[in-house]
Amino acid sequence: MIEIIDLHKRFGELVVLDGVSLSIPPGETTAIIGPSGTGKSVLLKHIVGLIEPDSGQVICFGTDMAQASERERYAVRRRFGMLFQDGALFDSLSVGENVAFPLERHTRLSPREIRDRVEEKLAVVGLPGTWDRAVSQLSGGQRKRVGLARAIVMEPEVVLFDEPNSGLDPLTSDQIDTLILDMKQALGITFVIISHDIIGTVRVADHIAMLNAGKLVAWDRTEAVLRSPEPVVRAFLRRNLVLPEAEGEQAHLPRAEEARRG
Amino acid sequence: MNTMRQAGAFAYFVWDWAMAVRRWGAPRAEIWREAFRIGVMSLPILLVIAAFVGTNLALQGFYAFRPLGGGRLVGMFVSLAGVRELGPIIAAAMVAAKAGTEMASQIGVMRIREQIDALEVMAVNPYAWLVTPRLVGIVLVLPALTVISIFTMLASGYLVAVFQLGLNGSTYLTFATQGITAMDFVYGMLKAVWFGMIICLVSCWYGFTCGRGPEGVGEATNRAVVTSAVVCVLSNYFLSEILYGGGP
Repeated sequence: MIEIIDLHKRFGELVVLDGVSLSIPPGETTAIIGPSGTGKSVLLKHIVGLIEPDSGQVICFGTDMAQASERERYAVRRRFGMLFQDGALFDSLSVGENVAFPLERHTRLSPREIRDRVEEKLAVVGLPGTWDRAVSQLSGGQRKRVGLARAIVMEPEVVLFDEPNSGLDPLTSDQIDTLILDMKQALGITFVIISHDIIGTVRVADHIAMLNAGKLVAWDRTEAVLRSPEPVVRAFLRRNLVLPEAEGEQAHLPRAEEARRG
Repeated sequence: MNTMRQAGAFAYFVWDWAMAVRRWGAPRAEIWREAFRIGVMSLPILLVIAAFVGTNLALQGFYAFRPLGGGRLVGMFVSLAGVRELGPIIAAAMVAAKAGTEMASQIGVMRIREQIDALEVMAVNPYAWLVTPRLVGIVLVLPALTVISIFTMLASGYLVAVFQLGLNGSTYLTFATQGITAMDFVYGMLKAVWFGMIICLVSCWYGFTCGRGPEGVGEATNRAVVTSAVVCVLSNYFLSEILYGGGP
């Protein structure tokens, strides 16, 4: 579904991605973690073709995003939804108009059908009946939830999240994580999440990829990454979790397991 | 060197926009919304400025021509200056100050808040969606604002000529209409269309290329209005030379 092959990107002298290769498994949740400035957001923007690589490929649904024409790229993007860090909602539109925006552009649904679909998605994210509310009246968590409603309103096959929990209090973060888990179960969507929130990541992710200094230093199922012997992985995760012993040794995951249970 | 690079980047932006229009067309509903907004936003300040430019044209024309015995030429002076030069350029300056700065800041904020990236991810071309309605809107509205500006100048000039300078009203109107032709209005409209395109494309370009943070938006807004004004005034000279150079 999404293949990242030997991706290289630099901005001036700064190497941001240095030979990253990754295959995103369909129908599962993949979290991309790593210290700040290691290229996580840049990687996400490569996936949707917002940034072109210096070398390497990003293949989405069989289309090389860097080589594709604008029409081909847009056709692929219609199969994606993306939640931006602060929601990226349009301030001049109401909540409902924001969520309806992609439907009005890309479907032939009647205004009634659009309204129904939008109300349904707003209810999914816990904000029913907020069509007329102004974006400026929303809290940070509500903006993210409206952004999420907009990301899923076209019923995409893949949803990308750029820091879904940043700037949110623990309770709201927890609600967003629960939403992701519920949607994955109900809709079978593939999720790709960039996050600094390790506890939330462990709770929702089936797979974890860790970037450090532009390189992929870990890529496996969540439990395996938690047992990774890589010092940089352990140092990064230890900040938030009580880790098990490295691979091959028996241990339990007190806080991590708690987190996964929610 | 930096100016050349900027000019190249601007040309590239205009090319990208033109390609986007060819591929994606323009959202019609947005065009009317933008046209209405630009008109409503700019009209009050334009009326005030045009009125007082008209009063001063009448005064200066009167004081300049009176020693030569041509005080009654005030009407012709106001209409010629207003229709050929000041009407279009003042309407453009007000639209640049009000609508142009809003375009740059609005698009700049959208850039730094990732709303333009969001448009791209939703498979909506940002040039087609953000630039085209503004450009068509301004091209529709600025000629109308120019006409309003010209008539406001003529009217305020009339009031000063008749009630302050004691000239005959019908003489003012006779000379005002004798001084200009229908082609002067057509040329004024052509100038307005050109100025509208410059203001919109320059302002949108600064918005799209705006730097990070509120400082970047402020800088983009500032540069948009300064560059629009400079390019409009410079190109006005060349347009006047082309349009009126061979005429009386």
